Amino acid sequence: MDKVYIGVDIGSVSINIVAINKDSDLVFRLYKRNTGQPVDLVKEGFQELKEELGDRREIGGIGVTGSGRQLTAYVLGADLVKNEITAHAAATTFYYPDVGTIFEIGGQDSKLIIIKNGIPVDFAMNTVCAAGTGSFLDHQAIRLGVKIEEFGRLALQAKRDVRIAGRCTVFAESDMISKQQYGYTKAEIIKGLSRALVRNYMNNLVRGKQLEGQFIFQGGVAANVGIKAAFEEELQEEVIVPEHYDVMGAIGIALLAKEEMERSGRKSAFRGLDFTQDDFFTDSFNCTGCANECEVIRVMAGEELIAITGDRCGKWSASIIDKKTREGRNYTRRTANK
Amino acid sequence: MRVSFPYMGATIIYGKLLELLGHEVIMPPRPTRKTIELGVKYSPEFACFPFKVLLGTYLECLDKGVDLFVTTGGQGPCRAGFYGELHKKILENLGYEVDFIIFDPPWRGFEKFYKQILTLKKDNSWPEVLRVIHTVYQMCKSLDKIEKTITTIRAYAGQEWAGLNKSWQDILRAYSRIETARDVARVEKEALEEIKKYNLQLAPVEKRIRIGIVGEIYVVMEASINGNIEEILNSFGAEVERSLYLSTYIDETIFPWIGRKEKEKLCQKARGYINLNIGGHARLSVGQIVDFKDRGFDGVIHLKPFACLPELISESMLEKLSADLDLPILSLSIDEQTAEANLLTRLDAFVDFIKYRKANCEERMSLSG
Repeated sequence: MDKVYIGVDIGSVSINIVAINKDSDLVFRLYKRNTGQPVDLVKEGFQELKEELGDRREIGGIGVTGSGRQLTAYVLGADLVKNEITAHAAATTFYYPDVGTIFEIGGQDSKLIIIKNGIPVDFAMNTVCAAGTGSFLDHQAIRLGVKIEEFGRLALQAKRDVRIAGRCTVFAESDMISKQQYGYTKAEIIKGLSRALVRNYMNNLVRGKQLEGQFIFQGGVAANVGIKAAFEEELQEEVIVPEHYDVMGAIGIALLAKEEMERSGRKSAFRGLDFTQDDFFTDSFNCTGCANECEVIRVMAGEELIAITGDRCGKWSASIIDKKTREGRNYTRRTANK
Repeated sequence: MRVSFPYMGATIIYGKLLELLGHEVIMPPRPTRKTIELGVKYSPEFACFPFKVLLGTYLECLDKGVDLFVTTGGQGPCRAGFYGELHKKILENLGYEVDFIIFDPPWRGFEKFYKQILTLKKDNSWPEVLRVIHTVYQMCKSLDKIEKTITTIRAYAGQEWAGLNKSWQDILRAYSRIETARDVARVEKEALEEIKKYNLQLAPVEKRIRIGIVGEIYVVMEASINGNIEEILNSFGAEVERSLYLSTYIDETIFPWIGRKEKEKLCQKARGYINLNIGGHARLSVGQIVDFKDRGFDGVIHLKPFACLPELISESMLEKLSADLDLPILSLSIDEQTAEANLLTRLDAFVDFIKYRKANCEERMSLSG
């Protein structure tokens, strides 16, 4: 039976699931909009995966990343839980060994990762503001009455340049409205917006950092050819958008999970494809055992308690310390302290 | 008179000092979401973050009937020097009657300093006061030593994690029962034995990951405010040491003849980046980054409370420092908006990158060797 390794990326805007085989070839990919019920969406996603791959494949390992990684990891019984920065870097260095700079713009955050000799050495992530991420573009596309898929291509048709204030989403919007009244076309406004977004990215993330090629642009926003063009104009260099730009995080965590499982020789803790039949829910309570007053979270699968987390001392989580200790599981238990 | 003080780091030390002098001490509560919300509500919007948390702490203490707060002022261009006075004014405007003892360095006005000491001295004899100060100082040094041990070996605790954390709480309780300098030695010995029980070994040198934490004193020292950053880093397998412990701070400000040498050394190391005292710990932060590098640390995390002016200046040096020293540095800004998920993501990635870097170095060494 062929082994496959699964990567799941739970982002704020999309949920991505991929599977790779033992040669690290992509055998399944799924990009789904996150409508706010991650567990249900993951279940649907795994249903599709099951149908596509059939029963003949053995799951060798499963990794989870993204801002919603914690809960999903419990539900799935993940072997590896990692942050999305490491995951993105892993995927890009796999496909592009000579990469120097990764621009990743997702639904609600943007990242910059610097690679030297195939090793990630530095990163930056937007801190205070989400202007210029996917959510912002979505919103502006709706306002201009343009489909998000068309948004970028339209920017390339612009004949003139117009400068849009890009520091803040709200101000960008009012600036766009006034520029529209000056008679600029939709295409020109969108081009201006793309350039403002890239300018914003350069100011907030790149700051003074020296950027070296190759330049790889990934994340959901990389679908936007207008933004890609604006990056190329800013850098005066070629910017590459990978074939699977929108699921790179999931591919990265699948690769890392594969590496981890092959190195350790462990057996996967995956709950099994039948988990889609189970009902999952969480509840929480404030532990009053000491001054920390931790918010303790319980995750249940039907009647069965599968995880307790959030207690700083380990009083609750130690009570069900599972047979299969793993990194990700431990760090929420250790750190959440409210 | 019920006395309390700001909550920062090892609060049992300040509590112990006042308690041994015979004051009725109300221990300030550990800052929570509620404390922060209270503080933010009544503080000027652009005050630095520690100012807001302190105000929240005071308001919570006042509900417990505190009528005197003991705190420190400061000198130099950092706004912390005005905290005490401004807090007092805000509390008065809110209708509270409360006294403040705000300690400034004695050379800023000896008479005022002396009067403040007399208030705290109560009717203790001077030899007794000296004995108490000696005891508390020894206790502080000893406790800092134990804490450093914990944040080092906890990186390897694995299954013993919960047990070790519980032992640490027990050790803190034992320290809070100390009465004399002789107790300190005994409690320390017991604490070290308790930790030894877990039989945790440091990783071999080439695998050890050591991370230093520098920055503004309040966010560096107070775990409930910095998202418990030391424990998070430990859970990723990294040993942690802070630039500031309570005993370093005491040596620096209260017994300057002890701390001066260390301070001068750090200022020397900061040379070329920040040459003047620009307030707060900015110059020392830079010196400490260089110092961590000199001591072979693998990375440094720089913490600054949002709106902290001195650390904003040291932050602007980080890019250059990181390049000059070939040292990964991560700067984090902390305030009431800090999201835990975000913090975890950054710290996880930071430690991962350091691990890759180390593994890569080792590989190259073994190839060339």
